[in-house]
Amino acid sequence: MSLLQQLQADSALLQTRRYFLRDAASGLGALWFASAGGRAYGAAASVLRKEPGRPLHASAPSLPGKAKRVIYLHMAGSPSQLELFDHKPDLVRQDGKDCPQAFLAGKQFAFIQGVPKMLGPQYPFQQHGQSGQWISDRMPHLATLADDLCFIKSMYTDQFNHGPAQLLVHTGNQNPGAPSAGAWVTYGLGTDNENLPGFIVLTSGGKNPDAGKTVWGSGFLPSVYQGVQCRSEGEPVLFLSNPPGIDRGLRRRSLEALNEINARSAAETGDPETLTRIAQYELAFRMQVEASDAFDIGKEPAGIHALYGTQPGKESFANNCLLARRLAERGVRYIQLFDWGWDSHGTDETTALTHGFKAKCESIDRPIMALISDLKQRGLLEETLVVWSGEFGRTPMRENRAGVEMKFAGRDHNPGAFTLMMAGGGSKGGVSYGETDEFGYQSVIDRVSVHDFHATLLALLGYDHLKFTYPVSGVNQRLTNVTQPGSEVVRGVIA
Amino acid sequence: MKTTVTLHGLGLLSALLLIPPTPALAADPAAGRTEFNRDIRPLLGKHCTACHGGVKNAGKISFIYRDKALAKGKSGRPAIVPGRPEESEVIARILSKDPDEVMPKPDHGPRLNEKEISLLRRWIAEGAEWSEHWSFVPPKEPARPTLRNPAWAREPLDEFILAGLEAEGLPPSPEASPDEWLRRVSFDLIGLPPSPEEYSLYLADRRHDPRGARERVVDRLLASPHFGERWATLWLDLARYSDTYGFEKDPHRDIWPWRDWVIRAFNSDMPFDQFTLRQLAGDLFEHPTADDLLATAFHRNTQNNTEGGTDDEEYRTAAVLDRVNTTWTVWQATTFGCVQCHSHPYDPIPNRDYYRFAAFFNNTEDCDQNDDFPRYLFPDNPQEREAAAAAQQEARRRRLDLNREGLALARSLGDWKPWTPLEAKASGGRLTLGDSGRIDAGGTLPIAVKYTLTLPVVPGLTAIQIQIFPDSENPKRPPERGQIFSKFSLGLLPPGGSNTPVRLKEAIADYMAGPFDPQRVVEGGGGLGSYPVGSDRREGVIVLEKPLEAPEGSKLVVEIEHGIAANSDFQGCPLKHFSLSTSTNARATTFVTSPARMEAWKAWHHAVDASSRGGGVRVPILVERERAATRETRVFIRGNRLTRDEVVSPGIPDVVNPPRKEGPLTRLDMARWLVGNENPLAARVLANRLWAALFGHGIVETLEDFGASGAKPTHPELLDHLALRLRGEFGWSVKRFLRSLALSATYGQTGHASQQLQDRDPANHLLARGPRVRLTAEMVRDQSLALSGLLSPKAFGPPVFPPQPDGVWRTVYSGASWRTAQDENRFRRALYTYSKRTAGYPMFLTFDAPSRDACTARRIPSNTPLQALTTWNDPAFIEMAQGLALRMEAECGPTREKIEFGCRLVTLEPPSRSMVDTLMKLYEGARQDYLAAPDTTSRLAPGPDRAALVLVANTLLNLDITLNR
Repeated sequence: MSLLQQLQADSALLQTRRYFLRDAASGLGALWFASAGGRAYGAAASVLRKEPGRPLHASAPSLPGKAKRVIYLHMAGSPSQLELFDHKPDLVRQDGKDCPQAFLAGKQFAFIQGVPKMLGPQYPFQQHGQSGQWISDRMPHLATLADDLCFIKSMYTDQFNHGPAQLLVHTGNQNPGAPSAGAWVTYGLGTDNENLPGFIVLTSGGKNPDAGKTVWGSGFLPSVYQGVQCRSEGEPVLFLSNPPGIDRGLRRRSLEALNEINARSAAETGDPETLTRIAQYELAFRMQVEASDAFDIGKEPAGIHALYGTQPGKESFANNCLLARRLAERGVRYIQLFDWGWDSHGTDETTALTHGFKAKCESIDRPIMALISDLKQRGLLEETLVVWSGEFGRTPMRENRAGVEMKFAGRDHNPGAFTLMMAGGGSKGGVSYGETDEFGYQSVIDRVSVHDFHATLLALLGYDHLKFTYPVSGVNQRLTNVTQPGSEVVRGVIA
Repeated sequence: MKTTVTLHGLGLLSALLLIPPTPALAADPAAGRTEFNRDIRPLLGKHCTACHGGVKNAGKISFIYRDKALAKGKSGRPAIVPGRPEESEVIARILSKDPDEVMPKPDHGPRLNEKEISLLRRWIAEGAEWSEHWSFVPPKEPARPTLRNPAWAREPLDEFILAGLEAEGLPPSPEASPDEWLRRVSFDLIGLPPSPEEYSLYLADRRHDPRGARERVVDRLLASPHFGERWATLWLDLARYSDTYGFEKDPHRDIWPWRDWVIRAFNSDMPFDQFTLRQLAGDLFEHPTADDLLATAFHRNTQNNTEGGTDDEEYRTAAVLDRVNTTWTVWQATTFGCVQCHSHPYDPIPNRDYYRFAAFFNNTEDCDQNDDFPRYLFPDNPQEREAAAAAQQEARRRRLDLNREGLALARSLGDWKPWTPLEAKASGGRLTLGDSGRIDAGGTLPIAVKYTLTLPVVPGLTAIQIQIFPDSENPKRPPERGQIFSKFSLGLLPPGGSNTPVRLKEAIADYMAGPFDPQRVVEGGGGLGSYPVGSDRREGVIVLEKPLEAPEGSKLVVEIEHGIAANSDFQGCPLKHFSLSTSTNARATTFVTSPARMEAWKAWHHAVDASSRGGGVRVPILVERERAATRETRVFIRGNRLTRDEVVSPGIPDVVNPPRKEGPLTRLDMARWLVGNENPLAARVLANRLWAALFGHGIVETLEDFGASGAKPTHPELLDHLALRLRGEFGWSVKRFLRSLALSATYGQTGHASQQLQDRDPANHLLARGPRVRLTAEMVRDQSLALSGLLSPKAFGPPVFPPQPDGVWRTVYSGASWRTAQDENRFRRALYTYSKRTAGYPMFLTFDAPSRDACTARRIPSNTPLQALTTWNDPAFIEMAQGLALRMEAECGPTREKIEFGCRLVTLEPPSRSMVDTLMKLYEGARQDYLAAPDTTSRLAPGPDRAALVLVANTLLNLDITLNR
């Protein structure tokens, strides 16, 4: 092998730049594949290959997976599992008593100091559906779907602050720099509609998540796989609309001129990136129409608006749920919703379990029910995995601040236990997996770490989390975080 | 086979394609001696080190270190016996037919092939000579290659490139046209396009002296004040520079004066060794200037977590480790972060060395405080800077001396007696009295808890000692929450009378560290004790103004008040375990009231006053803790800061030739070693980085990793030559180095590639053609500003707010808002744009700029529809298109000439007829549309002619030619 061939082989092996394979059957293309399939340092590298200029082109996973796409509903701030899905009758009797020392020894809290009081559940629970799932009276609409829902009650994390915990939930790493699950999935599967971004993020509640845009970043994966934040108010994708004074016809004229000149440049320079650029401008031009259409919920019939409780033109979680369905229908791979305002500390009325929390529940109960049943009635639920979670749970203790009890009832951050809910996409409906202790404080039976959940998410999509890797700095990185070995797929939640 | 291929694993591949021999085994095993790095290391890396490496030492064998490879494994037999392959266990295992014995284990990987086995056997027979990975071997000047066409070379570097091409039978490409070269070199050196005037001058100049003309262009660009702006950008990515702290609230940070320092350093061509010393250890110079101190802000670009309740020590530690990893990425291109949890999997760096290196950075004052403590004032007026820097240093020195002298006195008093309270009360929680006067606090202690102790009178009392004890004396436990009080007062309670205050003069600490001054506890508002964490016993001494006179039967009342909270102001740090003692030695009161002492305090006050003179910003910098306050550095077991092992002192891994020195190495020693001749890496790493900035990719493609897991150099001799020239002949001058690259024949080739060349070397590794590289995010913006005539030449100063869509900044718990500039700050160069970590400037992110969360050594360019949407529709770009249209319109003559002028602004040369035809067609069509729709027109331009020109300008700014250099 000549020096040149060797260099190319090494490069492909490292997969550190994007190479466009002009012709895979030719000698060089074949060589690249061979090298990519060779062994990187340490372990077998499985490197995905993408069609020239189409990094988002749809590809199949390595294993059969039921889920073809994901809609992740993240309640930023972390809702209380004790007021929604984790039924703890024993905690009622503890209300107002001093927290046992055993609960405090060696624990770090964000805010609680000294010896707090225990706080009983603020809302009654009831069993629902054939499966008899326990759900509180805050989720009356969602409760009607109990037999479609799969709860993991024994989730735990090791991060007790919002930013790091959100990063962990979405990237498998509490520090910024790793790709988000959405970026991984989009890298793996591409998208079924290249006229839209493959990974779309929608926010409600007036704020970005605590960890900022890093939670949908592409980390060390190519930036083309990062989440694209879209807006349900105004322009859905930044710079999607033509500016005032340039209409679609004029934009078409401009595109044609660009293409003519760029095509001549491509011939002159022989640079394949120029051909890619021509394709990307064409795509952008199509995206202008397709994305505008996808985001126009005004086109939905009145019945659908009644189902979701949507009001076109406003930023709301309900609107985002309806958008999520529209995007799922159009083949977007990963749809990530963040709803801010769930940090129920009880420092004031808006964060009180008895006030603000109640309003937040009302704002999501109907839309989530609508999203799941709407997907179902369209035959999309089977292949769409809907996930709902926060970034950690909340304490069974009532929060105090600076050692003083507050007027409103609230709970502090609790990494020890939280509830995650799934529906569709190959998850098992009517199931409650894992248990917390008698007060819902620590996950104790069938504990599921964030990394275990990621392994499960990938399994549902058709990936072995240990083999779905990307080589970086000599390590085959993966969503389940190579520095945290031992993650396992939670078989009990897979249908 | 179709072009779309997605493959996983190996099986399918092997089935579809004949796998050629592993590239690293290119050498013919039948010929010549084996070479460890060429023949053996890749083989070990491929088959062995996953289990027998730095992380796993299965069977107690590692093939990363020679001594471990030659040692006896668990089997009792040595893996390798130099000279004797038949006695080497490794050969026996590879050949074994027993599935339990054979290596690699059948489920771990395929058997070695015949060639590999034969190589390994020969290598052992030849003596199993070991050499370190190429990048750890010091560079040596290579022999100049023999060439068939030596006349092509302009610079020595060209000879190495040409040798590679001649070996491949590839001719170099023709010289780039003057416009192609001038545009390329202008972007590369100053990040801006050349003007048509500059192009005309160059054309005229090169007619009689092409070489001289090129030199004059390069020298002009190197001398341009815009040079530093272009090169600072590269450094800001590495330094993870941002105008915010990062994390949840992501608040504002005033650290832009450091960014300006970087620009000035590049402009003045500060040698890279000086540039390094100042940034890593400028604070440890004997007489640091203001700039030396400011430079250390490099490592204060770490993130700071102000989210409520976040553990300050956790994020302080994260910042320290980030400094370690960043230093190794920036100067050494070594993936040192791997060593945090275990020994390096592929490179010979033991786990312990990570923490030895971390010890260099573990002793600075910063500790994740919400105010970014410590910060120094850098006045805006350059005339005031040195005085302010000197005053701030003097104030610190004087304050430390005052405390040290006070401590010496306190320790010499010699008559300390335990002082047991009669009664101890707390305003919240509870206090209990233990043995030998120890007081313990329990229950829920409010942040502002107040302790009131009633004590027996001590006639003649002059000083009170307070000792503070940790929860646990186990030295390996993680640091505990601090214990610090903010006010100490003493009252005299005569029999039947009321509590009257006793005047206290001084509070002295066992050492000074952290944001609070112990002295101020006597009046309230200071802090004495450990903060935000502490592990050791602490001690403070309160000295009275004069010896106590007290009527018989009196009692004394001590009040200890708190109010300091850690973890972003949410977790109180009250005393939990403490005891008091007393002294009646009058030397204490005499000392604190002596004229000399009073003078010393006065001098300190003067220095403090002088410190805050002059308007300016306070910038976070590195401040080393005093010796007595040195933090202990321990190995974290498996990288977890909560599980700690042995104590380590500062040190540098053996493999990179650490300096030999009596006594402990300092951060300054480490910085000197980094840029010294003994370090095999830094010069290569910088040479490669600068090369990549001009050629689009490095000689080592992985700019961030020169280790065994990184890419191998395409031209190893060239890299050594460049590194030695940079460090030696050029004396670390970045400008002289770049000059030699920019004037080389290699760089001067056309970037156009024939189909054949494109097929043979698509990534242009061999440089048989010149670089053709997409503009960086910053260049895309700056070029459009320059072409539009809007670009503000203003340099330096606070970050600016060019147009950005509403709603991009929606940070939680933050009132910060984007205030779009209406003045020239709207049109400043990209690097002055406000950089917010959690919500970056959208256009930059779309064009692959990093978020600056962590050190970024390489941007990988992407090519996406979102980029197209941005340069088409971003209102900032529309504004620029309007500017460009105005310039075109002002050109005399018919429309065709106006359009030609616009093209020339972009490409320098008169455009091709076909290009102008295309744009004329666009113009005419658009004009017709605008004539028919005056409402549409008016939203873009005053009339249809201008509106059509704006659309042409918008199109020009989106051309592939425009977006590349």
